[in-house]
Parts: sequence; structure tokens; C-alpha cells
Amino acid sequence: MRAFSGIIAFLFLFHAVPSFAQANFLHFVTWKPEAPEVWDQAIADFEQQNPGYKIVREIAPQSSTQIHDLLVQKLKNRDARLDVFFMDTIWPAEFASAGWTLPLDRYFTAAEQDKFLSAPVAANRYRGQVFGVPLFIDAGLLYYRKDLLEKYAMQPPRSWPQMVEAAKTILAREQDRQLVGFSAQFKQYEGLVCNMMEYILSNGGALWDEKRMTSTLDQPAALEAVRFVRDRIIGEISQRGVLAYEEPESLALFTQGRAIFHRNWPYAWAIANDGKSSKVAGRVGMTPLPGFASGSGVATLGGWQLGVSRFSRQPDLAWRFVAFMTSRDIQKRIALATGRAPTRTALYDDHEVAQRIPQLQSLLETFKRAAPRPTTPVYVPLSNIMQRYFSSVLALPDTDIKQQAALATRDMNRLLNFLRERQMP
Amino acid sequence: MRSSHRLAFLFMLPSFVFVALFSLFPIIDSLRLSFYRLILTLPWLGQKMVGWENYRDIWQDPVAFQSFKTTLVFVAVTITFELLFGLAIALVLNETFRGRGLMRAIVLIPWAIPTVVSAQTWRFLFNDRYGLVNFALFGSDSSHYLAPLADPHFALFAIMVAEIWKTTPFAALILLSGLQTISDDLYEAASIDGASAWQKFRHVTLPLIKPALLLALLFRTIDSLRVFDLVFIMTQGGPADTTNVLQFYGYKKTFAEGMVGYGSAIAVVVFLLCLILSIIYLRILKLDRIEGSAP
Repeated sequence: MRAFSGIIAFLFLFHAVPSFAQANFLHFVTWKPEAPEVWDQAIADFEQQNPGYKIVREIAPQSSTQIHDLLVQKLKNRDARLDVFFMDTIWPAEFASAGWTLPLDRYFTAAEQDKFLSAPVAANRYRGQVFGVPLFIDAGLLYYRKDLLEKYAMQPPRSWPQMVEAAKTILAREQDRQLVGFSAQFKQYEGLVCNMMEYILSNGGALWDEKRMTSTLDQPAALEAVRFVRDRIIGEISQRGVLAYEEPESLALFTQGRAIFHRNWPYAWAIANDGKSSKVAGRVGMTPLPGFASGSGVATLGGWQLGVSRFSRQPDLAWRFVAFMTSRDIQKRIALATGRAPTRTALYDDHEVAQRIPQLQSLLETFKRAAPRPTTPVYVPLSNIMQRYFSSVLALPDTDIKQQAALATRDMNRLLNFLRERQMP
Repeated sequence: MRSSHRLAFLFMLPSFVFVALFSLFPIIDSLRLSFYRLILTLPWLGQKMVGWENYRDIWQDPVAFQSFKTTLVFVAVTITFELLFGLAIALVLNETFRGRGLMRAIVLIPWAIPTVVSAQTWRFLFNDRYGLVNFALFGSDSSHYLAPLADPHFALFAIMVAEIWKTTPFAALILLSGLQTISDDLYEAASIDGASAWQKFRHVTLPLIKPALLLALLFRTIDSLRVFDLVFIMTQGGPADTTNVLQFYGYKKTFAEGMVGYGSAIAVVVFLLCLILSIIYLRILKLDRIEGSAP
């Protein structure tokens, strides 16, 4: 009898309970947030408002490339233990095309969409439907050492050549062997495309022509920009280590006071000015990215959205969670704690936000003008080709840029052909 | 007789089912998929049978070719050093000295650490600003610091170092087991004949551990052909694609780009490479056994 009840208890423990409890869990894949306590609180609040439900968080790597691969694994396998997840701004088209994300139009109505900045909402649209709700907006910015520029009576640079000259002057006068001119993200990964796109677009070029569906990396404007980065930026004012840097490493160099200029997203502002983690707190300036002609700078649009898996067993609950996390209240809390830029326009007029994050107002223009990476379901393979090309020519100074660009163009066109065939009526 | 056959079959059945389910089925399915064009993000293209197209594409794909070369260099260099160092370690551990048991356990540590952890450790060691390797070479003056993982000429080398460090103990373990089968009588006889230490090694040890050497070679070749985790953690294939080994390339194609057909074809190529090399090694081993047994 005892053995029997033991077996019953065993079955109950290992079978009955999970299947009964699963209905009450909402699985959420996120990366490690900068202010975990704010997230913990927000999730606790949601759980309190929705009694009986628990949010199970899975913390993925911060690298966009790696969280992408993790999500693709789960979605491809139709994993029911994935309801809500972070999406980088370049994934909605891919995920939607593959049939992995739920169209949210029923919930995320046009009236609601109007309360958001338009560029990030557009990045979530694919073939007339919307597949994600923007949570943060990002755009490339130039950070600089205010103290060093003031010391040499310099203005923040308006063009890339100006920046190179300014860095060279400061490096020559400072005679500090630990100091480099510029740190950014030049590792072979998605960030490399974001960085290179800013040089290419601000020189009047493009990654590819979205109408004719052909790569434009072999055009003079793009070639020139790439050559500039290789010969002048990496060749003259950065050190080679930058070719292995993602955001955290490049920011660390800047916050350690070892870089004069630094390209990063808005989140870097709070970290660079936090006396606990930064040696240059209070001595940092921030300005829109330079261009080639003065004032022609282009910032890559980035940012993160929340999407809902098509294989979620509880889409309504998942939506409630997405709506809650992207609500005005939560966006404000996250913005105040981390400096991450919100996507709701109303928050840019919010008094408390304006007081605590004064730079946000000045960023609004940059956000509105930020250039999205082209929307396409084959973005990842296209990006891999571009990463390979950029990394090859930057890391190996002797390679023939034109020849490598031609190879990349050929490979990209092969993929773009699939889409051109589809576009034709 | 017949019923014992049937019984033997019955006993083998569970392991056969297990192997079929977790090994045979995926292999056959990859083989099947490698003849299709299947791109997850372009579902309207469907799953189309394209015959040898994926293999023709691999043949003409400069990235695949480069990654094939990278993989071969990686395998050749790492297994050479693993066997050399492994042999040296095995010879030492085969001697009797105080604390030998402890030494044997310690030597195995790198192999026992999960590759993901050791890869992360090596990534920090090779860091261009605070890495211990730089500190050991140049002290605290960071202006000369190297960035091995950012340099196309050194990144693969850095990954090889991590691989050799990690798997030498495994080679040592197999070679040690080979050394222990050699009877002391042979060394005594060699000593009586006036053989020097080198002669003993050359004419007694080496021929007798040849099977163990070949076995270590077999395991290590197959394993290092499939290198993935070190690259995934340390470089993600960069810089300039110089560490883009075949398995990583296939992974990227399949799981990041959703090109299941093409990725499967790459996996099949790696599988065939392993298979061919294994058959060659096993042939040599077998020949060796037959020769060895005939006096």
C-alpha cells in the first residue's frame, strides 16, 4: 500500500504537476537587462495584476547574433515553451516570413501604433502586417571626451575626416601611449554592418537597392567609404584590437579613459557617466554622428521589440504581457533607470524624463532621421556576406577592396534574386 | 544454437534502436535534406528537390573552400602537437615517482573542463587590453599589447592553442594505456643488449605503442574535424573569416541563415571526410595488427 501511494506521488510529482502548471507559465526570452531590479519589479507587478500567472525568464546572450540563433532554434522546433521574446530591429521580416511570429494587428491597432515613433514601428511591418511592438529605440551616436576637446579648444567633429584630424592632434600632443583615437564595433558580427552602413550611407551610398534588388556595395560611394574606414580610421586612429570588439569591449575602452572618440548606442551614456563603472564620468560629450560632408551624418536605426511566438499556447496572455512591458509606465521606469530611449513619443515630452535624461530631447531628431537596415526575410544571410566582406578588407589591409566588393555583390545578388522573382506580379 | 542467436539479437535490439533513433535517422535525414533547396525564411519557395545542386554550390563556393582549407590546417597542426605533447606526458606518467596518481589526475583537468568554459577563459587570456598573455609578454605597458583574436594571421593560431591545451590530456591517456601494455622484460632485455635510452624508445616503445598512437590519431582527427565550440565562443568565424571552420560555416548556414538544404550538404561533406579518414586509419590499424601477430 505504501509503495502504491509512493508511485502515485511519483507520478503526480513528475507528470501531473508540470502539465497542470504549464498553462500558468509564460516563457519570456530576454537578454540581461542593465537595470535588473526594474525588470524584476515590472514582472512582479504584472504577476500581481494577473494572479495565477508566472513569467519564466530565460536570459540569452547580449550579442544580437547569438540571441538570434537561439530564438531560431526554438521557433524552428515550434517550442511551446516560448511565448514572448526580444527581437532585434532586423528580425521581424525574417520571422514573419518564416511564419514564426504572430501578427499583432488585432491587438496593436493603428490608433495605438500612432503613439509610437514611426521608424521602429515601420521596422516591425512586413507585407502589411505588424509583428512586434518596439520597446527601445537605438541609433548610432558619437561620444567624445569633453575634457580633451576643451583642452585643445576643439568643437565636436562634424565630419569623419575632421574627427580623424582631431584625434591625431590630441594623440600627438597628449603623448599617452594608453590612449587611442577611436573605438567602435568592427568585429565580424551584426554590429559591423551597423557601423559600416553609417559610413557608406553618409557618403551617399547604400547597402543594396531595394527597388531593383541588387547590391550596391561595388558602387564608388560605398567603396570610398570602406577605404576611408580601413586606411584612416583603423589605420590611423584606432588600434587593431578594435577588429575583435563588440559593444561592451569598445565601451570599456572608452570608460577606462583610453579612447578619445567612441561610437555607440544611447545606452552608453548612462554607463559612461556612472562614477562606479566609468573613469570619465562627467567628462563625456555626445553628438550626432559625423558624415563625409559636414552635417550629412547618418545613424543606423537599432532597437529592440517584443514579439509573440506563433506557437504560443496563450497568445492573449502573451499580448497582455507585451502591452504591459511596452506601456508608458514601464517604458518610463526603464528609461529613468537605464537611459534606454523609449519608443512612445509622449515620453519625450514627459517632465520627469526630460529632467532626469536631459539629452533625450536632443536625440529625438536623430531617432526620427535614423536609417533602418533594409527590411527583408533574407537579412541574415545578406548580413553574413557583408560581414565577411567588411571584415576581410578591414583586417587585411592588402586586399583589393574593389575585387572583394565585387565578390560580395555577386553573392548578395544571388539571394536578392529570390526576392525579385517574388516581387514580380 | 538458433535460439541463442535469437537471444543475442534480442539483447542487441535496444542498443540498435537507440543508435538508429539518435544516429542513423539524423544522418539519413541530413543526407535527404542535402538534395533539397529548403530556405526557412522563404517558405514560398517550398522544399524543392534539386539533385546535386547544393554539392555543386559547395564546390564553387569560395567561402566553403577557404573554410575547408582552414579546417584541414587546424586538424593537421593540432593533432601533431597533441600527439607529441601527449606522448611526452605519457612517458613521464609511465615512470614510477612519488605523487604519480595525483599527477595523472591533474593532467586530465583541461580535458575535464567543458569546452565552452575553457574557450571563454582563453578568450580572456588573449584579450588585447587586459589579457594575461599580453601581460606575460609585455608587462604593464599596454602600448605593445597584441590583439591575437583580432588579427587574421593569429586568430586561428590562438584557437589551436586552446584546442591543443584542452585535448592533449586525452591523447596522453590513450598513449599511456599503450605504454602500460609493454612488458618490462623487453626493456630489461634491451638493457642487457646495451641499448641506450633513445634506442629503447626507438626500437621497443615506439613500435609497440603504434596501435595506441593510431587509435589516438583516429579519435583526435575525427574530433578536431568537427571543431565548433572554440570558434563559436572565441571568434564567431572572424576576423576576415580566417577561423570559419567547416562545422561553424554549416551551422551558420543552417541555424542562422535558415538554409537547411545547403547547411545539410556541408554537414554531409564533414561526415564523409570523417568516414573516409576513419576507414583509412582502421585499415592501417588492422594491417598493423596482422603484421604484428605474424612473427
